[in-house]
Amino acid sequence: MLGDIATLVLQGTMISAVYALIAIGFTMIFGVGGTLNLAHGALIMSGAYVFGVLAQGAHPAVAFPITILVVALLSWGLYQILVRWVEENVVITFLATVIVAVAATEVILIRFGSSPLGMTLVSGAVNLEPYGINARPRIVQFVGFVISWVAIGLLWYYITKTDDGRSILAASMSERGAQLTGVDLHSVRSKTWLIAGALAGAAGIILGSTGGATPLMWLNPLALAFMIVVIGGIGSIKGSVVAAYVIGFLEQFTVTFVGHGFRGILSLVVLVVFLLFMPQGLYGREFAHD
Amino acid sequence: MATTFAGCLGGGGSDGLTIGHLAPMSNPLGIGSKRTVDMAVEELNDDGGFNGEQATVITKDTRTDPSEAQSVTEELIQQEDVDLLIGTFNSETTQSILDLTAEFDVPFMITGSAAPSLVTDYAGSDYDTYKNVFRIGPINSDFQAESIADYCAYLNDQHDWDRVAFLRDQAEWTEPFGEQIPGLLSERDLEIVYQDALSIEGTDFGPVMSDVNESDADFVLRFFAHIDGGDMLTRWHEGQYDFGIEGVHVSGMLPSYNELYDGAATYETTAQSGAAGVTSITERTQPFVEAYSSRYQDADEAPIRAPMYMGFNTYDGIHVFKEAIDSLETTDTRNNLDDFVGEMLDVDVTGVAGQLRFYGPDSDYPHDVREERRADGTITNYPVTQWVGPEESECVYPDEHRTADHQLPSWMQ
Repeated sequence: MLGDIATLVLQGTMISAVYALIAIGFTMIFGVGGTLNLAHGALIMSGAYVFGVLAQGAHPAVAFPITILVVALLSWGLYQILVRWVEENVVITFLATVIVAVAATEVILIRFGSSPLGMTLVSGAVNLEPYGINARPRIVQFVGFVISWVAIGLLWYYITKTDDGRSILAASMSERGAQLTGVDLHSVRSKTWLIAGALAGAAGIILGSTGGATPLMWLNPLALAFMIVVIGGIGSIKGSVVAAYVIGFLEQFTVTFVGHGFRGILSLVVLVVFLLFMPQGLYGREFAHD
Repeated sequence: MATTFAGCLGGGGSDGLTIGHLAPMSNPLGIGSKRTVDMAVEELNDDGGFNGEQATVITKDTRTDPSEAQSVTEELIQQEDVDLLIGTFNSETTQSILDLTAEFDVPFMITGSAAPSLVTDYAGSDYDTYKNVFRIGPINSDFQAESIADYCAYLNDQHDWDRVAFLRDQAEWTEPFGEQIPGLLSERDLEIVYQDALSIEGTDFGPVMSDVNESDADFVLRFFAHIDGGDMLTRWHEGQYDFGIEGVHVSGMLPSYNELYDGAATYETTAQSGAAGVTSITERTQPFVEAYSSRYQDADEAPIRAPMYMGFNTYDGIHVFKEAIDSLETTDTRNNLDDFVGEMLDVDVTGVAGQLRFYGPDSDYPHDVREERRADGTITNYPVTQWVGPEESECVYPDEHRTADHQLPSWMQ
């Protein structure tokens, strides 16, 4: 039994770290610009494909930072070319980003077809059975965990300790207040998209290296990001991290005690409960009072 | 003016034979199928045509989407006036166009879907309406389940593997397996020690592998078409789990699959019509595979070495069609449907994926392709292949088509 719990904790921790990475960029963009970026999943997917292609020729350690940079720029470009012109209109932004996501699928289908693209960030696995844990996690999962927390740590430092970062926090609390203190909103939003893109790129690399890249791989992360953001509180980074772990552990709990086919059910129930009884989420508007 | 008029006439009517091919064209299965329909028609046109007439092929992309499939099928029937429809991959798509083809009396040959219900719920319950529908391959899931159970018995003979972890997509197509596999395995003295249907919306294979490992299974018997097993296979290799991975894995049938995953598929098996072209199922299999690969080896898109299972079936379908048309002595199938069906039921053709004969109106599976059985009753036309190298696979089952014995993973040897 103890071994079961240890296994559950290990598997839950691993998957939750990836979920956090998936959700943070999405929640930041919503917090700062009030924009629901439905192309967030597509950015994650582009991370997987860019890394997959680069890793065929270059060492993963080289391909990794280049991919992060490319996806950050894609995200920034998406904001500059499309979103900034329509962001005041929620519905148009919603539609425009959905179209980007669908178009991305078509581009991937034309270029790569529907077969999965496999890739390796690091290979190998660790057998934990001698330690009473029934799991042989892959090293890439540990790497994903580390990347997730390094990214969260850097982001936290940037947002709370640097002037540049504080302007993002300020803009998410009150746009007018931020403007009155001399914050350039456009530049803050551009920066947010750049950072969100980098995080999406990292998430894409981890997802691609664990399960391969496919043209519809953006759907699940996007749905997850939605759930995490609702449960965590829209716009709250802390909330997203906590909610990512809540969802990850709920899923793990369900597959351990109910069955693999019911993986997402319990999280959906929790989502509905939150929507009905706690629509502000765990840390709703936490930004405004941090 | 005259040219325009003639052009109009050429587009429809009974002159010229038009074959409509339906497949998901962003999927390598569909691409393989399109290439083989083109190959077959070209070869047969050069060889005297279909009852003397030259055929043309029009391929439409169903995008694995039932509503898209319906609209392109309607276009093929109404505007292109096709004399035969052939193809379709997933069962939901196939099902969505059955009524349409029946209403217009267009012969329809299914070459990619295996659900028994496509036959039993249609021609099986209302023969007169759906007599236009034939399945060329693969053998339906009921027969597949039986054949896979026999394969498991072979594994038990070979490696003393009698503990089975049974996994499948949580989807319509695996239902017949879910119902039948437990009974079929227990008849063969095999024990299911773990079973689950996995969400096709995304499964984390870490806990799945832990559960299978804990059950002390000798091998995983899995049925994946929606789920790509790449994550599972990579964990299997990296974690060096002490069990085999067997069954059906549609993604793994792609000839370049093992390269895509850096060899993680090595030692996994999958059953598939045509056995990926690695063995001589009939005397026609190898010449066909060689012709395919020499024609498409420089193509940009996979599959280039051999078509996937749907391509084998589509190629066979065109040959069956020619046989029926030549006996019918007209290419106007839609106005002579009863006679065409009669000719189809008399067909006995050696194809590239096996011998083709069809069940009659009074059987459990009207117009379904017949399974082939050896003297002891074992089904032989659902061969199993095993990846043994980055680009190499071998046929490991059944005896008649085997090119190598089933190998244990290197870490279990």
